[in-house]
Amino acid sequence: MDLRAGDSWGMLACLCTVLWQVPAVPALNRTGDPGPGPSIQKTYDLTRYLEHQLRSLAGTYLNYLGPPFNEPDFNPPRLGVETLPKATVNLEVWRSLNDKLRLTQNYEAYSHLLCYLRGLNRQAATAELRRSLAHFCTSLQGLLGSIAGVMAALGYPLPQPLPGTEPTWAPGPAHSDFLQKMDDFWLLKELQTWLWRSAKDFNRLKKKMQPPATAVTLHLEARGF
Amino acid sequence: MPAGRPGPAAQSARRPPPLLPLLLLCVLGAPRAGSGADTAVISPQDPTLLIGSSLQATCSVRGDTPGATAEGLYWTLNGRRLPPELSRMLNASTMALALANLNGSRQQSGDNLVCHARDGSILAGSCLYVGLPPEKPFNISCWSKNMKDLTCRWTPGAHGETFLHTNYSLKYKLRWYGQDNTCEEYHAVGPHSCHIPKDLALFTPYEIWVEATNRLGSARSDVLTLDILDVVTTDPPPDVHVSRVGGLEDQLSVRWVSPPALKDFLFQAKYQIRYRVEDSVDWKVVDDVSNQTSCRLAGLKPGTVYFVQVRCNPFGIYGSKKAGIWSEWSHPTAASTPRSERPGPGGGACEPRGGEPSSGPVRRELKQFLGWLKKHAYCSNLSFRLYDQWRAWMQKSHKTRNQHRTRGSCPRADGARREVLPDKL
Repeated sequence: MDLRAGDSWGMLACLCTVLWQVPAVPALNRTGDPGPGPSIQKTYDLTRYLEHQLRSLAGTYLNYLGPPFNEPDFNPPRLGVETLPKATVNLEVWRSLNDKLRLTQNYEAYSHLLCYLRGLNRQAATAELRRSLAHFCTSLQGLLGSIAGVMAALGYPLPQPLPGTEPTWAPGPAHSDFLQKMDDFWLLKELQTWLWRSAKDFNRLKKKMQPPATAVTLHLEARGF
Repeated sequence: MPAGRPGPAAQSARRPPPLLPLLLLCVLGAPRAGSGADTAVISPQDPTLLIGSSLQATCSVRGDTPGATAEGLYWTLNGRRLPPELSRMLNASTMALALANLNGSRQQSGDNLVCHARDGSILAGSCLYVGLPPEKPFNISCWSKNMKDLTCRWTPGAHGETFLHTNYSLKYKLRWYGQDNTCEEYHAVGPHSCHIPKDLALFTPYEIWVEATNRLGSARSDVLTLDILDVVTTDPPPDVHVSRVGGLEDQLSVRWVSPPALKDFLFQAKYQIRYRVEDSVDWKVVDDVSNQTSCRLAGLKPGTVYFVQVRCNPFGIYGSKKAGIWSEWSHPTAASTPRSERPGPGGGACEPRGGEPSSGPVRRELKQFLGWLKKHAYCSNLSFRLYDQWRAWMQKSHKTRNQHRTRGSCPRADGARREVLPDKL
């Protein structure tokens, strides 16, 4: 069906758009600035907000897919979703990620997820769903921008896609509607898992960036306060 | 299944790729990664069926998995397990299902028919689209706001179309100029509506129709022919003010401004006023307020808060012979009548300033009486205004009635002359 290939085109186009055309965030003015702390906080807040938004969007979308997709313990086989960025990670590996890698993984994950979400705009979905999806995509784009801001503040470069190594999630033309529904299910699940993980990622970053409390106390004592 | 072929540029893409190197990124068409989990396949895949029809489906287990057999397989439809008597084993690797008299799909994304292994895991699925082809949409109605745009609404032909995703397309063309146009802004005022924001021509009729399409077929409504000037509506009148009429306890005066967008064209505009008591839901409507921008409500209850709204109909705009379409009601404005200890008369009517006759029964009789009085008595200065003034004066002085003073001349029943208050007051 033309639809599928069109979807793939849409996804690829979107990959390019997202990764190459996100406006380069100008470096923060360093003189007297509070550091990346506030923007890390903002990013953390955004992930919590998106998590909340996703809950209602996923509820509506899964109802549209119909049972058994909207049943609470539904657990279909993960077919062909290996190219979805996986949030699940070994605890030690996660703990030992350096800041740059942590941020890069988040940035790349949401770039992909945003792309797939845009492709989710199924022809047959209701106008109401399309609106909710579009609204969520905009918010997700905001999160991407926020992560980019933190990376720029810390002096890390934004990840660029390398030609030929991009994993594209490209279903073949015979991709059935039921399989598409399963893909949609896993996309929403993975998005949810990523948002949970990101909250922890940014919380960890936030703690690292805070100035040590002792320095402040000493300063005050020296002044005789 | 073709594999490894980059998406051809010739195919219509919803968003054309921004950069040429995009083609190099393609690893398109690779069979879905990590498969080998496609352990079974359902046939038919994603069929479209009429309500009431039957379906024969099969679930075939792939032979490459060791121990793969159709033994113990079962079916669910929308999460509900189907009775075992509907299925039977065709051979060692295929389980068949027979469904009869299908109902319309539970959701527009298709009913989920799933083939499960003995342990409950999902082996394969297929989406069933069960519904009816659309019927002719009907009841198309359109209106134009200030002659600048056109919004249309219609009713879908049948309930059966709701089981499938049915696409509605509103088309229009000028009657004697061949080109068809399609409306693009849907859901403007509800699910079956569309808004045409610009490039509309006046003085030539439009032909408008709706096409409904779904997987099972399509239908086209009858053509509606209309002239934009015959379906004009406008904004509600702005600046509606309601105020008391002196001390009169049963009247309020309503004033408004002609809607500005069409103010140069509203020669024959009609207005309607509606009002209600604060804690009631019943509106009283005053009709036939032609081309004025003020009105007096009479016959109201004293000491009561009233809510008032006004709306406008741009009747006969640009020489159109037809009535236009009533605007929305203006925002409610409130005012209260002065307090009184006596209950006021019931009923309501609009009294235009200048004391023209109104429609209340009390006042009608009064008018007749005054007319008679003018002929048979010497009261040349009698009028409604005088009557109103008398009533206002009566309220003020009902406790001190003995102290009143009158002027003017009018014979009394006992023959003595008494003065009455002159017109000027």
